[in-house]
Amino acid sequence: MDELELLKKDWKKEDTKRYPKLSYNQIYSMILKKSSSIVKWIFIISLLEFVFWLVFAIVMKANRNSESIADIESSTIFIILSVISYAVLAYFFYKFYMNYKTINSTDNASKLMENILKTRRTVKQYVGFNLAFIVISVVAMLPYVLNHDENTRSIIENATANGEVFKFYAGLILGVLIVLVIVVTILLLFYYLVYGILLKRLNRNYKELKKLEV
Amino acid sequence: MNKELEHSFVEQLEKNQNIVHKVCRLYTNNRDAHNDLFQEITIQLWRAFPKFRGDAKFSTWMYRVGLNTAITLYRKSKRSINTQDFDAVQFKIKADEYDDTEEEQLKLLYKAVHQLNDIEKALVFLYLEDKNYKEISETMGISEVNARVKMNRVKNKLRTILNP
Repeated sequence: MDELELLKKDWKKEDTKRYPKLSYNQIYSMILKKSSSIVKWIFIISLLEFVFWLVFAIVMKANRNSESIADIESSTIFIILSVISYAVLAYFFYKFYMNYKTINSTDNASKLMENILKTRRTVKQYVGFNLAFIVISVVAMLPYVLNHDENTRSIIENATANGEVFKFYAGLILGVLIVLVIVVTILLLFYYLVYGILLKRLNRNYKELKKLEV
Repeated sequence: MNKELEHSFVEQLEKNQNIVHKVCRLYTNNRDAHNDLFQEITIQLWRAFPKFRGDAKFSTWMYRVGLNTAITLYRKSKRSINTQDFDAVQFKIKADEYDDTEEEQLKLLYKAVHQLNDIEKALVFLYLEDKNYKEISETMGISEVNARVKMNRVKNKLRTILNP
């Protein structure tokens, strides 16, 4: 007999001793327990990401202890940036929630995987947006801060008097650039680590499933 | 209403629990991991149950949710890392039921199946459960042609593992 036929024959034996027999009550107690599926984890992590950026914005707002920052906040460019960031936050949250709702364990395997990956992509875009937003904000706000902050103005005036204005700007740009690169890299690394671990198996299985598919 | 739903669900699952045990048997190799996966599949089935319509058989519907949980949704618990040969302990094949060669062969077969990847295991599971290619393609979300090609590859792979 072919080996696989032998396996099938054995597989179909409904031997009562072969599998544990769970009672009604045992199964009932199971449905009261909490799931630990990756969808739940993606949902939690994504929510944390939304919360993180929100808290970040609030903390930045609460820390306006100097007048110059209050000054910046009333500037047109700051208002525009704020409006954009909240609109985008609302958009992403809506999209994320809709994606999440389409995840259905009764879909076929391929569709289910695609929907999970879609949810994750939305969060990825959101994080990408936030990183880009930080960079753009800093670049856009920099000239404003330089012109409006008393301390910076006097430093620039001193530098100009000493003929070191070029050195000052070069150092400033380099400093800002380095800080931005460090911040973005740390956040990206963290992000890839978390999702990389969480979705490693799913990605592998999705690729395997889609192999040969046209 | 909710109580009725719970009762109907638990009753049907109790009756058909072997399907879930079979999925767990393929995807885990110790008792803790088996119980853990069983638990997760039960939760996923229960969550999806309100959407379950009688137009499909409860058992057919279980295949889909069970496999989806095993392949996609389930996060292996830490407990499942330390493995012990589950087949030998939990599902002891009694020697008097088989002649020695058959028993030996079956042991090797189950061992070979455990070496397959998640998708291949799913295909073997559906094959062992006598599902036709249409059902396999619908469960996995791939074309029938692809299902056929993949199935043949898995069968060949198993034969290669067994007869190197």
